[in-house]
Amino acid sequence: MVFLPSTTPATLAADASLKRNRLDYSRHLSAEARVRLPNPIKSIWKVAQVKAGTINMGNGDPHHTLYPICEMNFVVPSIDEHDPVQSWRSSTGEQNVIASYKDDPCTLSLRTAFAYGAGAGLKEVRDALANLNDRIHSPPSHTVSLSLGNADALTKCFRLLGDPGDSFLCEEFTFSAMTNAALPLGIKWVPIRMDNDGLIPSDLERILSNWDEATQGRRPHVIYTIPCSQNPTGSTLSLERRQQIYQIAHEWDIIILEDDPYFFLQYDLGVNQSTIQQYGYTRAMADVLPRSFLSMDYDGRVMRLDSFSKIVAPGMRLGWVTSNSFFAEKLDMLTDSSSQHPHGMGQAFIAELLGSDGWGVDGFMKWVSSLCNEYQRRRDLFMDVFRQKVAISGFASAEAPQSGMFVWIKINLEHHARFSTSQTPTVTGGPTTNTTDLMDELFRKLLECGLVMMPASTFAIVDGTGTMDSHINDRVNFFRATFVGTDETIRDGLTIFGRTLEEFFI
Amino acid sequence: MKHPQIDTNEGADLSHHLSTEARDRVANPLKDILRVISESPVTDLISMANGDPHHSLYPFRQIMYEVPSVQDTSDPVTSWRNNSGLAQIIHSYKDEECALSIRDAFPYTRAAGLKQCRDVITNFTNLIFTPPNHHVTLTLGNSDGITKVFRLFGEKGDHFLTDEFSFPSMTNSPLAYGVKWVGIKMDSGGIIPEELEKVLIKWDEAKSGRRPHVLYIIPVGQNPTGSTLSVDRRKKIYAIAQTWDLIIIEDGKSTQRHPRTSSDTLPADPYYFLQYDIPQTNSTPADPDEFIKNFRSTLIPTFLSMDVDGRVLRIDTFSKVLAPGMRLGWITSNELFHLKLADYTDSSTQPPHAFGQMFVTEMLSEHGWKTEGFCRWLKSLCMDYQRRRDFLLDVFKREVESTGYASVNCPQAGMFVWIEVFFEKHPRFVRGWESESGGSPVVARTNTGQLLEELFERLMNTQGVVFIPSSTFAIPENPLWVESDGHVPLSDRTRFLRATFGGTEDIIEKGMIRLGKGLREFFQN
Repeated sequence: MVFLPSTTPATLAADASLKRNRLDYSRHLSAEARVRLPNPIKSIWKVAQVKAGTINMGNGDPHHTLYPICEMNFVVPSIDEHDPVQSWRSSTGEQNVIASYKDDPCTLSLRTAFAYGAGAGLKEVRDALANLNDRIHSPPSHTVSLSLGNADALTKCFRLLGDPGDSFLCEEFTFSAMTNAALPLGIKWVPIRMDNDGLIPSDLERILSNWDEATQGRRPHVIYTIPCSQNPTGSTLSLERRQQIYQIAHEWDIIILEDDPYFFLQYDLGVNQSTIQQYGYTRAMADVLPRSFLSMDYDGRVMRLDSFSKIVAPGMRLGWVTSNSFFAEKLDMLTDSSSQHPHGMGQAFIAELLGSDGWGVDGFMKWVSSLCNEYQRRRDLFMDVFRQKVAISGFASAEAPQSGMFVWIKINLEHHARFSTSQTPTVTGGPTTNTTDLMDELFRKLLECGLVMMPASTFAIVDGTGTMDSHINDRVNFFRATFVGTDETIRDGLTIFGRTLEEFFI
Repeated sequence: MKHPQIDTNEGADLSHHLSTEARDRVANPLKDILRVISESPVTDLISMANGDPHHSLYPFRQIMYEVPSVQDTSDPVTSWRNNSGLAQIIHSYKDEECALSIRDAFPYTRAAGLKQCRDVITNFTNLIFTPPNHHVTLTLGNSDGITKVFRLFGEKGDHFLTDEFSFPSMTNSPLAYGVKWVGIKMDSGGIIPEELEKVLIKWDEAKSGRRPHVLYIIPVGQNPTGSTLSVDRRKKIYAIAQTWDLIIIEDGKSTQRHPRTSSDTLPADPYYFLQYDIPQTNSTPADPDEFIKNFRSTLIPTFLSMDVDGRVLRIDTFSKVLAPGMRLGWITSNELFHLKLADYTDSSTQPPHAFGQMFVTEMLSEHGWKTEGFCRWLKSLCMDYQRRRDFLLDVFKREVESTGYASVNCPQAGMFVWIEVFFEKHPRFVRGWESESGGSPVVARTNTGQLLEELFERLMNTQGVVFIPSSTFAIPENPLWVESDGHVPLSDRTRFLRATFGGTEDIIEKGMIRLGKGLREFFQN
């Protein structure tokens, strides 16, 4: 009865690429994503826009003359400074004004930014981010959709791919706020073992090849991973591991959710100064940043999630998802029938910032590179103080992270007088030590002394299928600590930490 | 299932309405830690817990918005459009004093939104809607708000109630997870309370599953029909909701209504603040409180205002009255639903962007328009839309009504007119398909649907004008809940085009001329 303009062109394009890759992406969709209808009003609108001169009386868009904002100005650092982050923090540098106008020329007019748009976000912003992607990852063939940041993007991917009863794979310690969000959708988590270098490819392989669909249900078809500065462990996957994991995903037909908010915060990069001079910051940074799963994704099985939260500010609530065009279209349909496209203010800001009147992509990468120096300075300070105040006792140890914001501190509980290894597990894979109790005691003791760190138990993924024998609660003897605070916070915090540890152990 | 401890002294216990997903949602474990921390007696606690970038690393220290001044003229919208009025700058600072600083707005925050922003919106909600005992949750606009509320209550196999012509961008969304819609018969005054009651009485749980427990309506400037529910109908509908234990989702896109008489001038919901034909008082009071009071008295009482049980979730947005790209709105609900919505926001979109929260907070603050100034803007916006509506109706009379093939309603609110086309006058109109209907009350007995489709395509392809055909909005009927005697199938009543008067006069005029011409050609061959 409803005669909608068909969306065939887009679907055909997706189908053609499917055949090329001999991959059935639709196999991975949830029941919900399969039956979701396109927004009929937006479909009509798309057709009506095709013919020039068509008068659209269909939609209830307020006319742009009624928007009560005709200009937005953002006072931002000048990117011409030698070290823009330092100059900005010390208020010694120049500042620039980024402007968006309703009636004057600019990269993304407020007339467009403040109107209703489509799920993927505005073309100006998507193009700028696709350009950034190309220069950093050179992905084989992918589409950019905007998101409201990685939490939004990731939870949408869960809805897109997960059905009740599905098991998804993840690192055994992970960002539990996100994995918990999948639980009410009926998705169970299967933790993969990790070591200092992140998730262990052979354990991933072991889980998949031992999987028994008769007793465990559908074999996992999705892996959620944070490849850089994994949250909470701070580990960054090596290129070799990435290639092994991608190969396993290829063999077992797994979709990789690459959640990479810390990608741009890398340390000890050794950026080549002559490359900067010759080709600019983007090329110089791209040469030394880790290779993403996206960059090796010839199958189209990676959905990569990027965000401005860590490199601009969390309140931006703006990010982007890079995936094959089939998933991109389904994701946009979900966005159209839920949150809608991101706000015009953030899109306008990013378009101008990355545009020719703002920093440009290269200026933005200069800011990122300067930001890396600043965070690296904080990390180094943290590690110095840690060595002096904490590691010296032998009760705790930590490795310097290559990226991100966190240090994963191991508490050497085996030195504790009350440490016990003789507990009998009450459930399969349950603890054989009193690690949880001791860690809980230590957490509270630190709190009493005025220090908060995140206990590992908060991030521990207890096997949702009850078959893994992982004994994870014997391995929660870690704290996650951040080094993004002020120098004072780092010094005072670690001093309390070292002193309290000694009291706790002795 | 553990629920937060809710003070149930006021309102009914409505937790049984929650979907399995909403009940099973696990609190963010990091928040548990935050709670433990907040209970710590240590006052100078050092936190090394979270990875929030330090505010000195945010690459902006000041944001400025150029907006109209609303104090210097009685009609700020017209002055703004003519470029004849004064402008005003709204500032947000990182390090200087303002209503919501960049420093406070840009870190990670919790779901319900920033306190400063929630406070100004709660204050506004209390002034305008005077709800009995409710809480405000920020959203990314009505679409986000509504679809979150659908997830809060909707379960596979559930039926939700709505107007028989409704807004498919919203009603389509829960179809994907197995919620079906039951359309309630409407007339020019909107949803008919007696028809709502009939469906509930007639409902057979053995045949149709759980009796509907959610009613979704746009009570002001209904989309697409443009109708506005009278106070009398609202009271009847609320009483039915109490009897049958329904949740009411009141979609109140901030609407202006067209003023008419004092009793029926009420704002629509997404269109609530766009109400027309409101009798104007002789003088504009200089006293801000008086102004707000007067403004409020011109708006229709909302379902929220009569919600003693806490069964109403009212959904408002700044999209229609500021700009759609703002993507900022709010839900007003009882405390339990507020907490559940906040949890859901934490597990999905996260709270709205800092830009919008800062802008709205500054705008409504002492440094900006203040609530009174915002009401002045709303009032002026109503007048502007009312002029556009009246212009469309004038051109319609001249260019379309004169053909004798169509008529139009005069909406009191919103942005749409609902144009009825007299297909029975078409030479190829066919009636009397009863034999083919097999006696079913929902199968079409005329070729109205086919003719509407032809007309839509003809208008688009040969006249170059697009209206949305009413079939797009029709909620499919089911004989299980439709009266068998004397019922006219919805397909035979699907004889409308929705047109907006939100465009310029040029667009309205050209559009109506093309419609008139298209109708003549369509009917005369």
